[in-house]
Amino acid sequence: MSAATQKVSGGAQAPPDAGSHSILSLILRILALALIDGITIWLVYQMVFDGYWPLAAVLALVTIWVNVVFLSGRFYPLRYVAPGLSLLAIMVLYPILFTVYVSFTNYGTGHLVTQQLAIEQIESQTFLPPDATLYNWTAFKNPAGDFMLWMVNPNDPADVFTVTPGTEPAPRSGEPPAEIDGYQQIPSNQLFGALGALSSLTFGVKPDNAFQVSQSVLGQAAQYEQLFVYDAAQDVMIDQQTGEVFKSIEGTFTSAAGQKLSPGFAATVGARNYRALFTDPALRSTFVQVFLWTVIFAIMSVLLTFILGMFLAIVFDVPEMPLRAPLRSLLLIPYTIPAFVAVPVWVGLLNPQFGIISQMIGMITGGWVPPWFSDPFWSKIGILAIQTWLGFPYMFVVVTGALQTLPHDIYEAADLDGASAWDKFQALTFPLLLVTVGPLLVASFAFNFNNFVVIDLYNRGGPPMPNVPTPVGYTDILATYTYRIAFGASGVSDYGYASAITIMIFLILFIITQFQFRFTNMLEERGRNV
Amino acid sequence: MRNKRLILLSLLVIGVLVLAACGGGQPTAAPAEPAAPAAEEATPTAAAEAPAVEEATPTTAAAEAPAEEAAPAADTGAVLTIWADGERAPILEKLGDEFTAQTGVKLAVVQKAIGDIRNDFKIAAPAGSGPDIILGAHDWLGELNGSGLLAPVDLGPNAANFAPNAVQAYTYTDGKLYGMPQATENIAFYYNTDLVPTPPTTFDEVKAMSQEIKDAGNKYGFLTQTIGDPYHFYPIQTAFGGYIFGQNADGSYNAEDLGLNSEGSVAALEWLNSMYEDGLLDRNGNIDGDLMLSAFQNGDAAMMISGPWALNGIREAGVPYAITNIPTGTQPGAPFLGVQGFMINAFSKNQLLAQTFLQQFVATDATMQAFFDEDPRASAWIPVSEKIEDPDLKAIAEAGNVAQPMPNIPAMNSVWGGQGDAITLVSTGKLTPQEAADQAQAQVSTAIAGQ
Repeated sequence: MSAATQKVSGGAQAPPDAGSHSILSLILRILALALIDGITIWLVYQMVFDGYWPLAAVLALVTIWVNVVFLSGRFYPLRYVAPGLSLLAIMVLYPILFTVYVSFTNYGTGHLVTQQLAIEQIESQTFLPPDATLYNWTAFKNPAGDFMLWMVNPNDPADVFTVTPGTEPAPRSGEPPAEIDGYQQIPSNQLFGALGALSSLTFGVKPDNAFQVSQSVLGQAAQYEQLFVYDAAQDVMIDQQTGEVFKSIEGTFTSAAGQKLSPGFAATVGARNYRALFTDPALRSTFVQVFLWTVIFAIMSVLLTFILGMFLAIVFDVPEMPLRAPLRSLLLIPYTIPAFVAVPVWVGLLNPQFGIISQMIGMITGGWVPPWFSDPFWSKIGILAIQTWLGFPYMFVVVTGALQTLPHDIYEAADLDGASAWDKFQALTFPLLLVTVGPLLVASFAFNFNNFVVIDLYNRGGPPMPNVPTPVGYTDILATYTYRIAFGASGVSDYGYASAITIMIFLILFIITQFQFRFTNMLEERGRNV
Repeated sequence: MRNKRLILLSLLVIGVLVLAACGGGQPTAAPAEPAAPAAEEATPTAAAEAPAVEEATPTTAAAEAPAEEAAPAADTGAVLTIWADGERAPILEKLGDEFTAQTGVKLAVVQKAIGDIRNDFKIAAPAGSGPDIILGAHDWLGELNGSGLLAPVDLGPNAANFAPNAVQAYTYTDGKLYGMPQATENIAFYYNTDLVPTPPTTFDEVKAMSQEIKDAGNKYGFLTQTIGDPYHFYPIQTAFGGYIFGQNADGSYNAEDLGLNSEGSVAALEWLNSMYEDGLLDRNGNIDGDLMLSAFQNGDAAMMISGPWALNGIREAGVPYAITNIPTGTQPGAPFLGVQGFMINAFSKNQLLAQTFLQQFVATDATMQAFFDEDPRASAWIPVSEKIEDPDLKAIAEAGNVAQPMPNIPAMNSVWGGQGDAITLVSTGKLTPQEAADQAQAQVSTAIAGQ
């Protein structure tokens, strides 16, 4: 798709009034559009057939839009952004829509496959009726590649016959020969390669003489019967052994007694994930506390990194500063170390028993060491310290850049007025900086709001809160907290619920950032008046 | 132009392949009846892809070609695919040569990190692109079986050679066996022979010795994690009569009988708390598994409970050590038994071949010995485990005689968080043992009910 739209835009770059070129470009354009449309129709057809409705719809809409843009003269300027917008729709909008869709399903552990696959899987289960005979088989194959089984009843040496798919059994006697009716006995060193084909075949004629080889023991065959049969009209699975009916309930075939068939399949469950989100005792009782710390953590992270970064940027902006260039480079080091390396290192340095930082603190205080990990307050301090260390170089770089854009004349004017350094900073530098840096602070806030890595690696959101209905720690932010709810401690994944949570976090963050942008707009106006 | 179209075509093919790969994951309540036509439709698609793939991406074609050619004279064309971790994949590759020579079936061994095997299998198996066999841990059963991804396994004629508790571990709640065990793993009691001349046999002795060792100026006697870890705590819990899940008559775990605040479980937390109360452990220590190991290695800790993975580090550190059974509280402490083994993909078209491969080529003295030589975890194959000479491995295996299989039921997933927090809260002195146990019991039962 991407290549297709780019190619079209390439065609459209020919000037619209380029005389002799225009016919050629028109033909090229129409050809390219026809190609795209053809491919899209084919893709959409395939997707609809396989049940991928959302993707098919998005693709169709985007293509229709591209057609309109390129065929109508009115939207000429749009042609230059059409590839970008198309990609935006497919790579950004579609995933968002898909997340919304998943949030209304129970897609997750136990409900990973489609209903169709689940039915196939359940229907493939067989059982051995109590009166059935377990035969021993020897396999034969003819040059055309057809198979034949020589069957012997181990309990009745006279019960010997051969059988091929689709024919009635033929009685035989004695030991299996090397060749019979044009079929050769398969030598043992080639038997393994034939097992796949043998186990997919039914030998004989249904219903009374249909044999299948055992799927678990080599050399056994019997009249296995299908354990479950799906009734599409009623959407139920029927147990052939007991006659029990399993109804399809929220993606699981469930009997009246509550027995469930595996595998379950993904099914839409209405607003259940959202209901769970709002009625979950776990979330209800601790949500506010977790939310508050999330906001505090995000704000404090932005503030601390910004203050430190700005301070250093201003200090190193002074041309007389010795060793300015190498020191500036050194300050960038924390930014180049990935958080999932830096955080464990810091955790080691802070360890109350063995960490060098804690030991130094202990030497100063005479033995007392901040309980960095077991106390809620000190855990938060530790996390903020590490986050500041990790994040300040970014602010340092940004502010250093922004400082270069500030006009010199206003500072000269301020000097003439006899302003002090502090006056200049708070009246000129700081407001002007905020104009440039403001939107980045908002972005930084949004990032820290979901700063999973630092929180999880520090002490997994700990220390744990006492007297709570679900495991939650004092330093858990919404992202780590809900991750644990949706994905469990080990291996359980509830994508539907996780999607619902994602959308709620998105909404919260959306509202907060709207306010922040309004605030930065205010700053911008103030900046213009400086 | 031709080039561009080729690029376009190859991009499309890639797109289609990506979509096809994502196919299994798409949650749609598709109507059931177009099953057959869908399969037919898929064929022309595949046919249309094939030439384009050959033209546009010669590397793929080249990579696949040798796989075809490697099929030997027997010319069966069949391939058995197995996913294994880095330690065992090379052994399987060697075994594969022998297997191919004898049967004409190629064994395709794909090496993956152990965690990736589990995660990738969940996605690939239902999409029809999974391997025939995976090598993994028995406690994946709850998750993989819950999605119907595993086929029952038949141990074949040599079933009696497998350690019974390892077989029990792979037996699911429906009574069927879902894996062929290969190795078992459990934790045991390590002690520093300089500081602890005779090993303690009860947890009371552990505490008394810790006091003496601490009084003699050493940092710790017995050291355990302050960051709650139900796995390492379980031997202490069971030593005092506690349990996580009650067992049914047939040995399977009963998710309804949760024992996190049973009398014994509380008693175990009481013992742990008394270690902190008496200053033998540090409430603010933030000791995790790594710190515990390094403290033992440099002599700061005289006793700990850990697994065979600790051996290499301890041997390198040169600290004098020995390994023995878990001490008793009111009864012998039982560690968890973890079992590694082979599981068969329920969506595989080669199930009988996979079963036969496992029965005839894996369940043999030679293969099991090769696994053990490469990765010295206790073998689940009795003829190999009987011959273990290494005294440390023998001691660990002996401590594992009373081990209980780690629960393979889905409910176990809900235990780690709540029970872990309870241990942390007792260790850091935020809750009394009874309060912490009650909280864990309530949290975990809520989580199980919500599953």
